[in-house]
Amino acid sequence: MNTTTPDLLVVGAGPAGLAAAVTAATHGARVLVVDEQPRPGGQIWRRPDPANPGPDPLSAPAYAAGRALLTRAAAHPGIDFAHHTTAWGVFATRTAPDGWAAPPGTPVPAGPRVAVHGPQGVEVLLPRALLLTAGAYDLPVPLPGWTLPGFLTVGGIQALLKGHRTLAGRRIVLAGAHPLLLIAAAQLVRAGADVAEVAFAQHLPAPADLIRAVAALPGNRAKVAEGLAALRTLRRAGVPVHTRTLLLRAEGEQHVAAAVLARVDQDWRPVPGSARTVGCDTVGTGYGFVPSTELARQAGCAAHWNGPAGGWVLDHDDAMRTSLPHIWAAGELTGVAGAEHAVATGRRAGLDIGRSLGLLESAVHDRELRPVEAELAATGRMAAFLDHTCAPHRAGLHALADDDTVLCRCEEITFGGVRRTLADNPGLGTADAVKLLTRAGMGPCQGRMCGPALLELLHRETGVPRETIGAFTARPPVKPLPVDALARAHDATTTAESPTDAGPVVR
Amino acid sequence: MSDHSPSGRPGQVTITLDGVPREVPGGRSLAAALIAIDEPVTRHDRAGRPRAAYCGMGVCFECTVTVDGAPLIRSCQEPVRAGMSVDTTGEEAR
Repeated sequence: MNTTTPDLLVVGAGPAGLAAAVTAATHGARVLVVDEQPRPGGQIWRRPDPANPGPDPLSAPAYAAGRALLTRAAAHPGIDFAHHTTAWGVFATRTAPDGWAAPPGTPVPAGPRVAVHGPQGVEVLLPRALLLTAGAYDLPVPLPGWTLPGFLTVGGIQALLKGHRTLAGRRIVLAGAHPLLLIAAAQLVRAGADVAEVAFAQHLPAPADLIRAVAALPGNRAKVAEGLAALRTLRRAGVPVHTRTLLLRAEGEQHVAAAVLARVDQDWRPVPGSARTVGCDTVGTGYGFVPSTELARQAGCAAHWNGPAGGWVLDHDDAMRTSLPHIWAAGELTGVAGAEHAVATGRRAGLDIGRSLGLLESAVHDRELRPVEAELAATGRMAAFLDHTCAPHRAGLHALADDDTVLCRCEEITFGGVRRTLADNPGLGTADAVKLLTRAGMGPCQGRMCGPALLELLHRETGVPRETIGAFTARPPVKPLPVDALARAHDATTTAESPTDAGPVVR
Repeated sequence: MSDHSPSGRPGQVTITLDGVPREVPGGRSLAAALIAIDEPVTRHDRAGRPRAAYCGMGVCFECTVTVDGAPLIRSCQEPVRAGMSVDTTGEEAR
């Protein structure tokens, strides 16, 4: 396969990307999957380097679907993988092949051009269809002590364990609101870590919640069984699992030495006098996830605010088409809803892409659509239930940061610094304006860490609706890349082609 | 596990960490290898306070180090390799 011009380019080798790749390839599409990780699986189906022996982290029953999909994708002759590869820009049809605006009248190829940076340097890929499945990352929750070494996200702790057979620490406190805390805690216990406590901020489920849970059960028994098995593991190991308990701060000089936790009310406000200190060397937080929409938003795909689904979520139709032609999205970008739902949305996108590329007759499409729609409905019910019971209480989390707390980890901007800027500049009402005045969001992470907290701070201080404040504008490169790689690619582009030649450009 | 590692113990590789040879476990990311030897710090902020891996999945850029002279390398995405020179003190890693 000429990997620069696949029928379908998938960005992200997680559940959604793999499901879509297999679906489209099964119907004859030539598919290229690019991913930053060294191996496919995304965050949830991570597996260690084969040179690092030990039991397969995916051997648990809950990962059976993942194992099967990984095997099918790896064996399919129509699917190529490019790992260690970052997609850093999507350039639409109105730009010249090197990504700059085309002069009026310049013929340019149809379809998106996707710039990637990998072991071969910078390349521009020219797929007929682009599927974005960049997934999600843990919601960053700034609070005192969160920049100390030993303070990680629960996803990061799990990645170290599943992907690298490494315990993040010896004595670990996990705090948050998402069921992933239970899964990760059980995995840590089985790997030999001392999990000091698992703290959930929300109250025990009310009877109405249990009724919702029962309603969500059909089609989701494996997921529920996974959670119950994790609880049993923790109970056997004597790990306390608390509800109504919030992590207030982490303490330590050069490294985390303790977590301070407190009882909270329904609005996640600490009960006075209930704070207690738990000695530990590692803290992990898991309050839910943020969709990685930056590449899609850079491409121009429309997004909207949906707090319980993770924040800024891509607009999409029933067939997982974004607001732009040639570009589909699946998985967490379309609303955080877990691996099972991501697989279903990936299949849905794969079918539509197959039909759009002329590979799949309508009758076949419709026949294959029925089971996928049933799957979407079942996994969607579970996602809705989790949205209801586990959504982060953003006001409660916002109140944890004091003026000295670092908001932007890259540029070292504090909450107090942003508040002073707001006081000095009445009328500031967009995330981009605050970025320009404070530098928050200008560091290497490009606002992925401070964006959600800055949005909440602005919203609370100014009363401006979140939709008006907006997300930071996403610009290429959406992740830093070496300037010399870009320069080499630009030189190759400008010397190999005449300015009016609209042919495909490679490297 | 490699039997050809240049270090004494199987599966261990030797890297240079801030100019000092260190034996670390192989077959994992550089960030994981640093955590495994209790040297999690990858950079310092302007006030000299230590920073280390936070997200573990290539998003936060807290674990960036200079590898063989190349700055801003995410150690959580970089496989640990025998002989690699890792610098956590450089200006660009601040």
